[in-house]
Amino acid sequence: MTTVLATAAAIAALAAAGALPVVAGVGLRWVSVTLAPLAGAVLAALSATASLTFGGTLLSWFVGLAALAAACAFGLWVVRPDLGPRRAAPGAAGGAVHRLMGVVGFLAVVGACAWSLRGLRSPTVGFDARALWVMRPGWFLQSHAHLLVDLKARGLVLTQSAYPPLVSASAAVAWKLTDVHTARLGVTTVAVLNGCALASAALALVECGRGMAGRVARAWVPMVAGIVAAVLLVVVAAGVTEPFLSNGYADPLWSLAAVGAVAFGLQLRDDPSARAATVVLILVAGTTKDEGLVTAIALVVLVAARSIGLAGLRGAWHRWAAPAVVAGCELAVLAWWPVMMRVIGARGASSTFTSDTDLSHRADATVHGMSPYLHVLVLAVPLAVVGGLVLSGVRRRGGVGHDLWAWVALSTGLTAVGAVLVASTSPIGPWILSTVHRITEYPILQGWWIIGVWAVVAAAGLGGSRPDAPASAPTDDVEEHGPGPTPVGDPVGVVG
Amino acid sequence: MLVTVVSTLVVVVSLVALVGQAVRGSRTVDAQLGARAVRDATIDDAFYACIDTQVHSLVGPGRTVALGGDNLADVVTMLKGFGAWVTVADPASTADVVLTLHDGPAAPGTCLGTRVIGTYRGPDGRTTVRVGTGAQVAGQGPPPAPPL
Repeated sequence: MTTVLATAAAIAALAAAGALPVVAGVGLRWVSVTLAPLAGAVLAALSATASLTFGGTLLSWFVGLAALAAACAFGLWVVRPDLGPRRAAPGAAGGAVHRLMGVVGFLAVVGACAWSLRGLRSPTVGFDARALWVMRPGWFLQSHAHLLVDLKARGLVLTQSAYPPLVSASAAVAWKLTDVHTARLGVTTVAVLNGCALASAALALVECGRGMAGRVARAWVPMVAGIVAAVLLVVVAAGVTEPFLSNGYADPLWSLAAVGAVAFGLQLRDDPSARAATVVLILVAGTTKDEGLVTAIALVVLVAARSIGLAGLRGAWHRWAAPAVVAGCELAVLAWWPVMMRVIGARGASSTFTSDTDLSHRADATVHGMSPYLHVLVLAVPLAVVGGLVLSGVRRRGGVGHDLWAWVALSTGLTAVGAVLVASTSPIGPWILSTVHRITEYPILQGWWIIGVWAVVAAAGLGGSRPDAPASAPTDDVEEHGPGPTPVGDPVGVVG
Repeated sequence: MLVTVVSTLVVVVSLVALVGQAVRGSRTVDAQLGARAVRDATIDDAFYACIDTQVHSLVGPGRTVALGGDNLADVVTMLKGFGAWVTVADPASTADVVLTLHDGPAAPGTCLGTRVIGTYRGPDGRTTVRVGTGAQVAGQGPPPAPPL
């Protein structure tokens, strides 16, 4: 079997495993197409963790968990027919043009993603990819006893083998299903998952534009702006993440998934469909790499805070119970692998921290190391200030989340990664030199997404207010939160 | 009026910035397809495939291995070459085969000058040393370092 065929088969298997839970949560939306393989990858990561915890083969767990997820989806549709896959989006009012823009946006984004993965024509397997990410799949396919030895034996030196399992587990599923055990197949499978995460994050911009369309007189303006911004962001993101987008590294996957989670969970209108997409993307980010785990935990808290809001805290228990339960479940899933690493005493599972005397030097080196990569903030900050001062009304009326949420998410991720650099004992100079361009991918991409959202909001400002539009739409702004009137013109669905 | 002016400004500035960065991004991706990048990747791939084949000639099914030598770089090279499939012994002293790398000048039967050496300890305590076979890559190593 060729690598291309094997990759297609592997992604199809992951998508098949993830499709039903995604459709159950998100509905029949274009973004469900790109989320399905990612949900399958999360199931692969959980299968690897379950295999390590309880024994049994990775593939048995993968099939079992996929079947369980499918059964839960069907069960949900039996109990709650109103949550069926063809349910309408909240306040859906889409016409033919609106649906056409959804199709065009999806095809444009997927086409841009495919074009951005042209780096795969070079047979590159990255250093860390070969040493860890697409080497570890073989461990997941060994017996339980040998998997424990691989993760624990001090003679194997590699402390990064305690990193979360999603990338290696997905490659292991690909190897097992296709019987092609090559590093190259691991790289191509991860690259396509990167493309799915990138497309998901970009499709949030398309939905942002479509969501604002019902609020403006010239509805096509924000919709076209959303598509243009989404396509441009795909190409920008490919540039930010290359060569790691196509050489098997894990950094692009968690960074892009985290950006997508912010887009769906903190920027788009807070509805069940967007919340379900957010859960998938948060789990991808948190089960891919340690930096992603820290960022994902922060995003879980932020998304729950947005869902609950001040009104939720003041209201009855059921206003905050559901978001709190979802957040608790996400945290439990995210914690499973790192807890297991400590329980079995895996190499690299425990960290040592530096003495106080080094902190200022390390903090200085970290700030100076990161700064050259964050020049996007020079544009994003003033744009956000101007937009916040003049266009916040347009943004609120369009139902787009407050910009501060995205900035808090950016700052939290940046601070978390920076704090790890400052607080650990590894020599800071070589560490910064060898990793800073990868670990800053998330804040860089988040900065560009903030710019993209403001472009769509500003385009809506140019579209002119619809005379029959209500004065304000419900949002979950940092300052304002309330039930508000029913959203108008938010037909994000394919089946609007 | 103010909203229209500022909206126009924000749209123009953000789209110009996005287009400019997209052009840069596209060039970055294209750089991965340059002749040198492809050649380096091909050599890298051939080197590790060669190491892998030589280890297959030394380690039979079900036999446990230890990664020998006190050079960290060699251990990492061995993990990259065949870490996915070998059965690691724990403790290392119980291994059926101790694998090490021997770097030398480019020569037939080597992977860019590197050979895999297998050391076997028999039940009587005698050791046997064998050299990996079955693949070679001409030239002098190490292979070009891919980006970190």
